[in-house]
Amino acid sequence: MNLYLKLLSGSLRSRMQYKMNFLVSSLSYGLIMAVDFVLLAAILQRFDDVKGWNLYEVGLLYGISSVAITLYRVFGVEIHNFERYMVEGEFDSLLIRPVSPLSLLLTKNLDLSRIGGTAQGVIILVISIIGLRLDSFDRLLLLLYLPVSIASGTVICFSLGLLTATLAFWTQRIKDFQTFTLYAPFNAANYPMNIYPGWLKIIFFTVIPVGFMNYTPVLFILDKGGSIWNLALPPAVALAFLFFALRFWQFGIRHYHSTGS
Amino acid sequence: MVYWILLQKSFMRNLQYKVAHLINNAASAIFGFVFIAIWAGVLQGKEQNSPYDVMDMTYYIAAAQCILWVSGFLTAGLNIQNGVRNGAISLELVRPTNFFLYVTSQEAGRLVYNFFFRSVPIGLVFAITVGFYVPQNVLSYLFICISILLAIIISVNLHYLVGISACWTTEVAWAHFVNFTLLAGLGGQMVPIDFLPAPLSVLTQYLPFAGAIYYPVMVFLEKASHDVIWIQLFWAIALTLLNLWITERARQKLEIQGG
Repeated sequence: MNLYLKLLSGSLRSRMQYKMNFLVSSLSYGLIMAVDFVLLAAILQRFDDVKGWNLYEVGLLYGISSVAITLYRVFGVEIHNFERYMVEGEFDSLLIRPVSPLSLLLTKNLDLSRIGGTAQGVIILVISIIGLRLDSFDRLLLLLYLPVSIASGTVICFSLGLLTATLAFWTQRIKDFQTFTLYAPFNAANYPMNIYPGWLKIIFFTVIPVGFMNYTPVLFILDKGGSIWNLALPPAVALAFLFFALRFWQFGIRHYHSTGS
Repeated sequence: MVYWILLQKSFMRNLQYKVAHLINNAASAIFGFVFIAIWAGVLQGKEQNSPYDVMDMTYYIAAAQCILWVSGFLTAGLNIQNGVRNGAISLELVRPTNFFLYVTSQEAGRLVYNFFFRSVPIGLVFAITVGFYVPQNVLSYLFICISILLAIIISVNLHYLVGISACWTTEVAWAHFVNFTLLAGLGGQMVPIDFLPAPLSVLTQYLPFAGAIYYPVMVFLEKASHDVIWIQLFWAIALTLLNLWITERARQKLEIQGG
């Protein structure tokens, strides 16, 4: 843990050498995500709700999903760009170190420019919580539960990222899979699951379980349905999925053949 | 013709990645399904207050997802920034070919590829699942071709502008992000621009971004008057002239630096 903090602060310092670039890239990344939400706000201002969810309720889902995927992009940057290790044959150098390849990858680098997206997600959450006008008990419950929901989302996202990265042991390139396993599902999770056709819902609650991180608990907290178990499901699903992803990663490493170049 | 050969070569190069692109197409279709689902959810029971009903929006999103691949998802900065960074641009600029055409013809090859291996398959997925609009008027097909062609020229020019700015800034990642956001947001990728709040909905009609996505989609759906093509034509010419001028400035800057 000590080593991890040291590595993190090193990465932060190196980023700060290019302050202007860091600020501009964080801002522009945050801006992109904000534009999406502003467009949604424009639609909902005109039409009030999407299948019974108003702007602030959708904002809650949107914020949790944005914060979760951007935290993964900050901390999981080497997992996300894992195909480089396969294409350029750098993975061998990770295997001969005394620490596990996964811990090496996680401590190697941080992509702080994505923090702008996290900040933007948090701002949307704050606006939504204020706009929702919940009674004090529900608000307290929501505030206490938000970290759990975000953590579950980040773990689910990390697991999906790791599963996709593992595919690189066979396919080398993974960028095109990521659109399918990460970007499209997390974009979908910005909105309530009840708007989707059945087959998409099945995907988002099974193979790509993004529906659990925000839709399931928010449904209960906003009195839209479900039971108290809706609050227990997200962390349970996240941990089970993480376990599965780690097993698959181990399996992938055992099947790894170097390029021999 | 050297530019035609560059276009063909770029097409062939992209052909190498067919399989990965086909998987990516599935994701692109899912993005489309998500947008369609949002609109269906939003418009449910409120269609009388809206200029578009659910079917209109389904057609709109389906067409927009297809057109995005020829006028939205272009190479960041058309890779001009790489040449600036490694110095290759100094050689590229002194070649007896026109630098602007040299860069854009390669991108054109990629876009022709995208049309056949991205737009068409994605369109087919929509056609067999949610439906895809078929223009009724024979004459419309002519205007659709012109409108899409102009959309491509506008978008290639916007991306060229981002790329050539590297001669002054060296870093274009953020400029590309901003350009793409404006293109998708104000170009009507998810929200037709007439749905935007008041000042924006008028302003965006005259910006180049609408010419890249919104107008070709509306012409395709036979919902826009053919006059919008004049707006597209204006931007296509204006941006091309601007880029030719800036390329000349970049060449002079290079000579002064002597690098």
